Amino acid sequence: MAPYILLALLNGLFIGTSRAINGKLSTRLGPFKASLWNHGVGFLFLTLLLVAMGGWRLDGASTPPWSAYLGGFFGALFVAVNSHVFTRLGAMNAVLLVIGGQMIAAVLLDAQRLQLAPSPVRCLGVGIVLLGIHLTRVSNAPRTQAKTHDTPPMGR
Amino acid sequence: MTGRSTDWLLAIAGGALLALMIHFNSLLARHTTPVVASWVAHGLGAAAALLLVAVYSRRATPALTGARSADRPPWWFYLGGVPGTFTVILAAITVNSRLSLAGTIAFMLVGQVLFGIVSDHFGLFRTPKRRIALADFGVALMVLTGSALIIFDRV
Repeated sequence: MAPYILLALLNGLFIGTSRAINGKLSTRLGPFKASLWNHGVGFLFLTLLLVAMGGWRLDGASTPPWSAYLGGFFGALFVAVNSHVFTRLGAMNAVLLVIGGQMIAAVLLDAQRLQLAPSPVRCLGVGIVLLGIHLTRVSNAPRTQAKTHDTPPMGR
Repeated sequence: MTGRSTDWLLAIAGGALLALMIHFNSLLARHTTPVVASWVAHGLGAAAALLLVAVYSRRATPALTGARSADRPPWWFYLGGVPGTFTVILAAITVNSRLSLAGTIAFMLVGQVLFGIVSDHFGLFRTPKRRIALADFGVALMVLTGSALIIFDRV
């Protein structure tokens, strides 16, 4: 169990590293080009990995519903949005807000998929997440103003 | 503050996009393998990003005009996609262990928040340094507690 916990924690660092690097690229090239580089380089890397491992299994590729292929589109948009906000909000705030949005969306998606109202525990969870997000704004208000000069202004 | 509010709302919407992405990609992975699903998603994502660049290139480039952006970005600025692909592979390993999906997501979230705190404190990857206050830990604890309730209520 413990090695898997370490792997999952390590994965959080991989995610953070990827987002930080994409955020930096976004300040130079803009969020959409950063997303293009992220997906292009990732695609190339996975192609090499699949060639090396011989793990091609495309026989099932025609069976899923067409919506299964929408993931790439949402991924492209997500990387662009995340790259844009990352350098503007700082790593921790960006992470917390994205997690908050992700958990709330997951509850709504599940409710829609199961055609069932979310359980009281999950509603409580959403409430605590929202309260936490609200507190982030309160606790950051004075510091955000003090540090505006060291964040480079970006075109909107 | 209005400019900031857009960033906050964008970040929350980004989380929703992430949930949709995971939802559709795991649907694809169930019909193929995690690595193949990630490969297909990255290929289609590259195509979608190319389309977005073509449509929005005029609106997104003002960031380039700053004097700071004149010099060439270092080579590693282009490699964010590589740790991104490891994410899929590591997640596939831990989801299939006794941690299952719920445990994997929970510990990944903790790892991300830890990374955020360390990154802000040391200004890793040339991002601006930001002082971490005690209140930040309280906020992180709340978001993670709420997330844990949502994640573990599933199983």
